[in-house]
This record gives sequence, C-alpha cells and structure tokens, in this order.
Amino acid sequence: MRSPLLWLVVALVSAGLPSSASAGIPTEQLKGTTDKIIVILTDPELKGPSQAEKRRGLIRKTADERFDWDEMSRRSLGRHWAKLSEEEKKTFVDLFSRLLERTYMERVEDYSGEKVSYVGETVDGDYATVEMKVLTSKNTEIPVLNKMKKNGGEWMIYDVSVEGVSLVNNYRTQFNSILSKSPFSELLAKLREKVSEK
Amino acid sequence: MKHLCIIFPLAGLIGLLAPAFSWADGGADLVPYAFSQDFRGRAILAQASPAAEQGEDDLGPEGETLPDPLEPLNRAFFEFNDRLYFLVLKPVARGYSFVVPEKVRVGISNVFRNLTFPVRFVNCLFQRKLEGASEELGSFLLNSIAGMGGFFDIAGAAGVRKYDEDLDQSLATFGFGPGFFINWPFFGPSTLRGTFGLVGDGFLDPILYLDSSGAKWAARSVNLVNSTSLRIGDYESLKKAALDPYVALRDAYYQNRLKRIRE
Repeated sequence: MRSPLLWLVVALVSAGLPSSASAGIPTEQLKGTTDKIIVILTDPELKGPSQAEKRRGLIRKTADERFDWDEMSRRSLGRHWAKLSEEEKKTFVDLFSRLLERTYMERVEDYSGEKVSYVGETVDGDYATVEMKVLTSKNTEIPVLNKMKKNGGEWMIYDVSVEGVSLVNNYRTQFNSILSKSPFSELLAKLREKVSEK
Repeated sequence: MKHLCIIFPLAGLIGLLAPAFSWADGGADLVPYAFSQDFRGRAILAQASPAAEQGEDDLGPEGETLPDPLEPLNRAFFEFNDRLYFLVLKPVARGYSFVVPEKVRVGISNVFRNLTFPVRFVNCLFQRKLEGASEELGSFLLNSIAGMGGFFDIAGAAGVRKYDEDLDQSLATFGFGPGFFINWPFFGPSTLRGTFGLVGDGFLDPILYLDSSGAKWAARSVNLVNSTSLRIGDYESLKKAALDPYVALRDAYYQNRLKRIRE
C-alpha cells in the first residue's frame, strides 16, 4: 500500500540518483542550450538594463541554436501555408519568428533560479519529445514538453507545450480565426503591429 | 441598514470571482471540460509516438476545435473580465502581495487546495482512479495533520503525485462531449459540460457549508485575492504574446483540459 511515508523515503533516495533514466542526445542538446542560457541570465556582469542589449543578443544567438523558428512558423499556419506566395511566406516567417523570439526572451528573462529537471525522452526516428519540469518559487511544478526534430546532427525544437498547451496549436487556432474573417494581408498587418509593440 | 444591501451582493460578486481567473492554474480551477471518447482515443495515440503526429506534410495535427457559437457574447464577457482584472482584481492582489510574503501566500493557497480534497477524491472514484483517490486521501490527512491544516504541502514535498480531477473531467470520461465554449463573466472560460461540472463540484466545496454568509464571503474573497496574487503576470503574458487574446485564451483552456482529461 502506498503511503506518504513510503514516498518520503523514495524521494530521499532518488534525490541522489541521476535526473533522467532515459537521457539521450535530444535531452543532452536541450540541456546544453538551456544551461548556456541560464549561465547568461545569472551572469552578474550581464545584469541590469544597461547590459540588456548585449545579454539579449547572447540569448538570441544561443536560442537560435536550438529553436527552429522557421518550422514553428510554418506549422502555425497549418493548411494556409501552401496557399501563400513565396514573398508572403518569407514575410510571415520573418515577422512571426521575431514575435516568437521576443515572447521567448521576455519569459526567459523572468528566470529567477527555478530548478529545471529533465524527466523523460521519447525518440521515434527523426522526431523526439523531451519533457522538462520547472520548479517555481511557489513550489509548483510546470510540465514543459519540447517537441524536437533532427536537422543534420542537431535536434531542433519545433513546438513547446506548457501544461498541455502547445504553442504551435495555440497560434494556429488564432490564425485560423483571423484568416476565416480577413485576408492574409490583414494577418501580416496584425503581426507587424504586434512585433513593433513595446 | 441600507448599505448592507449593497455590500453583501458586491462581496458575493467578488467571492464568485474565485474560480474565475484560475484557468491558468492547473490546480485551482474546478472548470470541467469534456471531450468525446473517440477523439480522446486518437489523442492518446498521438501522444504515444512523436512521429505519429507528423503526418504527410509535417504540418502537425489540426485537431478538433471547440465550437464557439456564442462567440460575440463570449468576446463581450472576455472584455468585461479583462477590465475587472485590471481595474479591480489585480490592484487588490498586488497590494495584498506587498503585505503578505510569498511563502505565506503559498501556504494559504495550500490550505484552500487541501479543502477541496472532496472534489478530487470523489472524481477520482468516478473515473475509477483508485490509486489517485487513495493518494489524495493520504495527502489530505498528512497535510491536514502534520501540515498545520494544509498550510504545508508535506505530501507534495515528498513527491506524492497530485490528481486534479473534477466533475468536468469525470463527465468527459463518461463520454460527454464539451458542447461548446462559454466564457462566463467572473468565472471565465468554460464549456457547456464544464458548467455542469462547476455546479456539481460546488456541492463538494466545504466553504459552501460554512454557517454564516459572511464567513463564506470572507473565505472566497481571500482565496480569490490570494490565488490571483500568485499568478499576476500570467494573463498579461498571454495577452502580450497573442494576436487575438480571446482565441488564445479559449484555445489554451481547451488544450489544457484535453491534457487533464487524457491523464
């Protein structure tokens, strides 16, 4: 019978064990990037608004190594992608990537020492999912699922789900809603406006 | 006294806000969300294998969307809730958070969560999650006794899993579909099924059985302000990242419920 006391014992024992039983290359690469970013965020020399541009530049460069913004953009448009001209595709990817990067940047800069653990990985050919848990200061555990695709030797993230809410799906629903009522140029206009927001 | 007639309904309204903005918090909300058995089956399959989701064009699963025939009305309520949050709830929660340290606020949130143990317990039973029922029971007892009435989440610290089940999820496992999206003023996002769930779970909320309406109001208001204070910024982030915040919220609610029903 499971008792909380037994759980206490198990927790104490497993605290000494390695974090993930099935840590493969996708997890390692993800962890590598995440750790690099955490180092940047906790670097005392890079703190404060005066260092903001330099700090963000470094974070952006590191994030670009792991996030496939183009793929995220494509997937977020779903079935609309095929209907676009080359020009429209390019503009969209450019704008949307900037929105994603900025959103990511803002979330990441809120980092204040949360512990990140890697709890599981599944690999299926060129696709993988890596699950993380972020322990907040309020003692809540946020499950984050990273969906990755192998690109050459690098595993790149093409979707992130937090508490079951997929970023790509969420934007896709929004885009579908907008495109059901207005032309693509309207979507681009909204994106442009959003990206230039402060 | 005349002014009591104003104060109590107003207080009641504030009290009603308690579940309202809890959508972002996986634990606190009692809003259910149902989903047909058929799609659930497919969703489980998709989760099982990353490549299975990809499809020919690699554009990912389109998935089913939640019908929203009441969209104009829902949008209006969205605007209303938005104003209410920024003009009333957030300022109060911020003031509260300056006075009360975070650890205490987390403790208070633990107490309220501990109190809704009947909801989780009963719904675990409905869904035949016997392990969940027993673990929730164990956590409740441990936290109540050794955790000072639930203030300290000792079971959680020891790694005991949480089973955040509610009537909406139970109804979903019985095969009820969600119906359609309803964005309630005050209560926030829900569905037709979800609303039944909210009402049903309400009967299992111990606060309902407090003797005086003053006590009920006090409890609900404290819970609302306290839980909001722990989540300030979440809603703002959603708005900042979204092109259409209403749809972003509706979809986030939907996807989160799907996940909770699945597991």
